[in-house]
Amino acid sequence: MRPFLLRRDELPNWIKHLARESQVYFPQRAGRSGFRFKQVREGSLIQLEHYRPTIVPPGKKLFPAEEILFRYQTMGDEIPVVTPVLDASKQILAGVRPCDLKGIDLMDRVHGEGVPNPHYLSRRTHTTIIACDCLYPCDDACFCDAVGSLGWRKNADVFLTALDDEILVESFSERGRTLVQRTALPVCDAVDSFKERVDVRRSKPFGRQFSVPLSQIGPIIAGQWSSPVWENHVQRCFSCGSCNLVCPTCYCFNVRDDFELSDGSSGGRTATWDGCMLPTFSIVAGGHDFRPLALARQRHRVKRKFQYLTQRFEEGAFCVGCGRCGRQCTANIDIFDIVNDLIQKVEG
Amino acid sequence: MNAIACHDGPFLPQMARILEVTAMTAREKFFRVALPAPLGHRPGQFVMLSLLGIGEAPISISCGPRDDNILEMVIRNAGSLTQVLHRLQPGQFVGVRGPFGSGFHLADFYGKDVVFIVGGLGLVPLRSLIQPILAQPDLFGHVTIISGCRTPAEELYREELQSWSRMGGERRPVTVIRLVDDTAHLPWDGRIGLVTAPIADLAMDPDRTLVALCGPPVMYKFAIMELTGRGIAHSHIFVDLERRMKCGIGQCGHCQINHLTCCQDGPVFRLDRIVDLQEALQ
Repeated sequence: MRPFLLRRDELPNWIKHLARESQVYFPQRAGRSGFRFKQVREGSLIQLEHYRPTIVPPGKKLFPAEEILFRYQTMGDEIPVVTPVLDASKQILAGVRPCDLKGIDLMDRVHGEGVPNPHYLSRRTHTTIIACDCLYPCDDACFCDAVGSLGWRKNADVFLTALDDEILVESFSERGRTLVQRTALPVCDAVDSFKERVDVRRSKPFGRQFSVPLSQIGPIIAGQWSSPVWENHVQRCFSCGSCNLVCPTCYCFNVRDDFELSDGSSGGRTATWDGCMLPTFSIVAGGHDFRPLALARQRHRVKRKFQYLTQRFEEGAFCVGCGRCGRQCTANIDIFDIVNDLIQKVEG
Repeated sequence: MNAIACHDGPFLPQMARILEVTAMTAREKFFRVALPAPLGHRPGQFVMLSLLGIGEAPISISCGPRDDNILEMVIRNAGSLTQVLHRLQPGQFVGVRGPFGSGFHLADFYGKDVVFIVGGLGLVPLRSLIQPILAQPDLFGHVTIISGCRTPAEELYREELQSWSRMGGERRPVTVIRLVDDTAHLPWDGRIGLVTAPIADLAMDPDRTLVALCGPPVMYKFAIMELTGRGIAHSHIFVDLERRMKCGIGQCGHCQINHLTCCQDGPVFRLDRIVDLQEALQ
């Protein structure tokens, strides 16, 4: 299907049109300066704006902070009955940037390969993604281009590229084509020249850059276990886990049982977000802790993003360069700076 | 990688009825439960055991592979879940997910002399490998079991250890060495000392000996040092590791050791595959 053109001022109508039929989440103002993915209502202010990324990435709509795995009912001496809980409600995540699009793709792999996670996959199957291109870095913390996220298009159902008053609307899936076809949009006859003009306009360099190519970062980090860089950065860390909570590719969880106080015979089991920076994360029964120091936990976190998971899933980086962990860090620790210092140390 | 016997998704437990609960020591109880269907496990695998409304924890499978629907476990009273488990009676239900993990492959041990070195609770998972090896004398060589614990009161499977020592023959000798750190003024018919001490005097042919290790984290370092000194290659040593686990399917992140997950790639690892990974053994 050939791409369409949408006038920028028509975007709100299209998004609100979609919102009449299913739940649509779009980045909207919340509070004084922040944005968050809020459900679109008739009165919502919808515009593709330049804004600092939302605190919580849109991918968390697929992996909520609390996920009920099943409910149970005990029945005296009889076998208890356990009933799975799967969320199959339709949703559209719109206004998703390339970094977050890549984050969702990585989570699709984590939850889809090996033993599939039916809870994630049920939501994912019922989720449509309308992503959009970035022409300028969102702020000084962004480094999406350095980790190969800026050009991410895979797994977008619809992809929007806004330039001046026009938006190029491309659909990459059957589901995307259905969303687009329902609106009578003019076909774009000059896609190549549109994209050329976009590339001319796009910031260069785009955000922060590492001094070595991405392919070299994994080996560099793999070779540095006792570098003083780890200590330099972790000195300020409170082990609060904020970086875990806001990361598009953090997916560790805990499992908790609940029971109904009212009847004492029913309840459920819930997966809740956990974070590898939290002090209790690696303690086993009996009290042995495999990562008792914040240094070991931070090193583990950085190595997960640039070494361990990249090795396991054969990806360039599990960090998408959104900059959220650095922005939200209560001690101003930035994963870009840690990686950059490790690179500099090697280059010496 | 491993068969998941969960029919409705990996997080749903099967309900198993408790057949037997026996106190083994002051802290450990032996559980035999009946599952709705055979577990179909390999030695060294584990299950996620749960009590609805209380919680779930990884528990080693203590019995060898079997055709019936029976599962045996030893549970130490070490936390809120296991405390409640210790109060259960036959007829009550527990939730079981799994089996999980790589486990041991019996074929790796065919024709080999096998040395088991276990400390404390380490005997519990390795019993799942000891049982099938002792049950098929023609397939395996000399079996040595070195089992250590702190005091005689903490020794697990005492009668089985004693009966295993009588299962040897001319073609397939079986040696069982039982140790305590301290007799604590209790009667004791075994040796006194660390579980690593007998390694120096074992008659071992490094080419045809495989070693399986399971015990507290501190045991691995010294046992491996002694074994290496006796010429046993890292590729001939299997370690059974413990980590915090919440899912069993490689997703919750707790048991990650570098790029590996203990619940999927382990908990049994051939030592040469993890010896260079930081945080694996300590």
